[in-house]
Amino acid sequence: MLGSIIASGLAMGAVYALIGITYNTMFATSRVMSFTAGQLGMLGGVLGSLFMLKVGLPPWLAFIATLLGCAVVGLVTELVAVRPVLKSLDQHLYVLSTLALALMIQQVTAIEWGTEPQPFPRLFNVGSGLMDEKFWLPVVACALVVLGLEYLYRRTLVGMAFLAVAEDNFAARALGLPERRLRVWSYVLAAAIGGIAGFASGQLMLAFFANGTLLNFYGFVPVALGGLGNNRGALIGGLALGLFQQAANFTVGGVFSSIAVFVLFIVVLLAVPQGLFGSATARRV
Amino acid sequence: MSLTRRNFVLGTSAIAGAAIIGAPRYAHAAAESLRIGWLAALTGPSSAPGIGFDRGVKFAADSLNAAGGVKGRKIEIVTRDTQGDPTKAVNATQEMINSQKVHAIWGPTNSGESLAVTPIMARAGIPNIHPCVIDTLIDTKKFPNAFRIAPSNGQWDDAVRAYCLKVLKVKKIAIIGDTTGYGVTAVKACVANFKRDGADVVYSNNIDATQTDMTPDMTRARNAGAEVIVIWSVSTGMEARLFNARAEMNWDVNFAGHPSMASGEIRGLLAKPQNWDKVYAVGYRSCSYGTDGKLPAKSQEFVDKVQGKVSLDDTLFWWVTAGYDAVNMVAQAVREGAGSSKDIIAYWNTLHPYAGYFGNYTYTAEEHNGYPTADVVMSAANSAKHGTFLLAPGYV
Repeated sequence: MLGSIIASGLAMGAVYALIGITYNTMFATSRVMSFTAGQLGMLGGVLGSLFMLKVGLPPWLAFIATLLGCAVVGLVTELVAVRPVLKSLDQHLYVLSTLALALMIQQVTAIEWGTEPQPFPRLFNVGSGLMDEKFWLPVVACALVVLGLEYLYRRTLVGMAFLAVAEDNFAARALGLPERRLRVWSYVLAAAIGGIAGFASGQLMLAFFANGTLLNFYGFVPVALGGLGNNRGALIGGLALGLFQQAANFTVGGVFSSIAVFVLFIVVLLAVPQGLFGSATARRV
Repeated sequence: MSLTRRNFVLGTSAIAGAAIIGAPRYAHAAAESLRIGWLAALTGPSSAPGIGFDRGVKFAADSLNAAGGVKGRKIEIVTRDTQGDPTKAVNATQEMINSQKVHAIWGPTNSGESLAVTPIMARAGIPNIHPCVIDTLIDTKKFPNAFRIAPSNGQWDDAVRAYCLKVLKVKKIAIIGDTTGYGVTAVKACVANFKRDGADVVYSNNIDATQTDMTPDMTRARNAGAEVIVIWSVSTGMEARLFNARAEMNWDVNFAGHPSMASGEIRGLLAKPQNWDKVYAVGYRSCSYGTDGKLPAKSQEFVDKVQGKVSLDDTLFWWVTAGYDAVNMVAQAVREGAGSSKDIIAYWNTLHPYAGYFGNYTYTAEEHNGYPTADVVMSAANSAKHGTFLLAPGYV
C-alpha cells in the first residue's frame, strides 16, 4: 500500500506541479490566471497519442510535434483570450475569456478525438509494477522542467528579461524590454510545459478529452498552496497534493478522497491566504 | 336545354379544372407513404450505436419497399441527425411532428435525448419506440405512446444479479460505479437489490472515472472479501484500469456488469489482452453464440438475410436487429389495419409477443417494457465476433 501511495502519488503530484508551473509561467508576464493550463496538459496526451498511434511518428518526433502543437495553442491563448482583456485586468475578464477558450479546446477535442479514453503507447518500455515508466516518467519530466526553468531564469538573458517583466512590467518597458514579445514567448513556453506534463503522463492518464478539466482543478491547487507565481511552491504543493490524494484514495476512497483534498486546500488557504511559500503583498492605500 | 358554345366552354373548363385540382389529391391519398421519423445520433462522439441502428433501419425500409411497401404504401424514413445533442433532438422532434407529419418515431437512441423529447411526443400522441435504458422513460400513465424495444436498466441489473447469485453462486459482492448521475443511481439500486435477495454487499463505492490508479478501490474490495465485482459505468477507461489493477494484484476475481465492459475500445487500454478474461458484460441471447460458435437459429437467419448487404463486422448485432425490428413493428401495425397514430399505439398494446430478430417483444396497455428479461444474459466481454458475443459460462 505504501509503495503504491508513493509511486502513484508522486507521479500524479508531478503532473499537478507541472500544470501549476504552466499557470505560473503564464501569470508571470501577464498577471492573468489562464484556465487553458489544464487543457494544454490534456492536449499533450491526446496529440502524443495521435502522432504516435495514428500518424505513426517515432516517439521523439511525436514529442516535438506535440510541443509545437501545444505552443500554437499557447500563442492563440495569448492573442485571443489574454491580450484583448489586459487593459481591464481589474475586472477579471480573463476568467471568462480563458475559460471560454478552454471549453472550446475541450469540445473540439471531444468531437474530433472522441469522448472515450484512448491508449498512449509505452515510450521506453522500462520498469514494471511500482517502478513502471508510467510512474517515474512524470517525476523525471517534472525534475527536468524545474531544472531547465531554473537555468533559464538565472543564467540566461532571456530568462532574466522574463523575470524583469514579471517583477514590474512598466519598469521593464521603460528599460526597453519588448514586454509584449516576452509575454507571447512566455505563453509559448508555458504551453510547452503543459504539453510535457500531458505527454509524460499519457500512459497514466490516457489520451482523454476530460483530463483537461481535472488538470485545471488539481493543477490550480498547488499554485494556491505554494503561492501564486512561485514555481518552487507549485512543485512542493503539487507533490504533496498527489501523495495526499493517493493516501486518501486508500483510506477513505471514492468521492470522499476529492472531498478530503479540497477540505485540506480550504484549511491551508484559511490559515495562510498567500500560500505556504508566497509572501504577503502590501496594498497601496 | 340547348348546348351553346359558351356553356360548352364553361363546362369543359370546369371539368378540366376539377381534374387538375382533384386528381393529384386522389393520387396522393392512394399512395401516401408511411413516414417513420428516425432520431439518430449519426455523427459526433456518441454516433457508433446510431450508425449500427441506421443499418437495420435502412435494410428494413429497403426490404419492405422492394416487396411493394405495406398495403401499397411506401416506407419513408425521415432521418434527422441529432449528434447526441438533446437540443437538436427536441428541434428535430418538433419538425417531424409539425412539418413532416410522421406517423411514428423511432429513437432517439440515448437516454439524455430521450428524456428531453419523450414528453413532447407524448403531448402529440405520436407512437414512439426507443432503446433507451433509463427506467423512468417508460411510464404508461405519463407517456402512453412510448414503448421500449431494449431492456431497461432494471432488467440489466436483474440479469447481472441472477448471474452472480445463481450461476456463479457467490454471496459476497463488491459494487463499483462512476460518479456520474447514472453511476450513482445504478450502484444504489444494485446494492438494494442484492441485499433484498440475501447477498452480502461487502463493498460499494463510486469512483471518479478519471482516477488514474484503481489499486486503492480494488484493494479495499479484496480486503472486504469480495467474490465478484459488479461494475456500473459507461467509462471504458475506468473499466480498463480496473481490469489492469486486478491483474497487477494477481487477483482472479470475476467482473460482471455494464455492457460497455465489452466495448472494443477497452482492448487498446489493457496492459495485456488476458486482463480482459473473466469479465462478463450484459448481453442478449439473440446476440450470443455458444461454445460451438453457433448463433440461435433465428439470429443466423438474419445474418444470412443481410449477408453482402449490411456489414456486421464493425458494429453490434443488436443495434442492427433492433433498428430492423422497430421499422417492422410500425409496418406490422399498418398491415394489421392501423390507420392513425392512435391505432398504431393501440395495436402495439396488443403485441403478445411480436417476434423480432433482436427479441420477442410483449406489450400491454400497462407495460411498455417489452423485452423479455430472460433473454438478457451475460456475455464473455472479450469475445466479440461480428457484433455478437460468447455466452458467459454457466448458461444452458
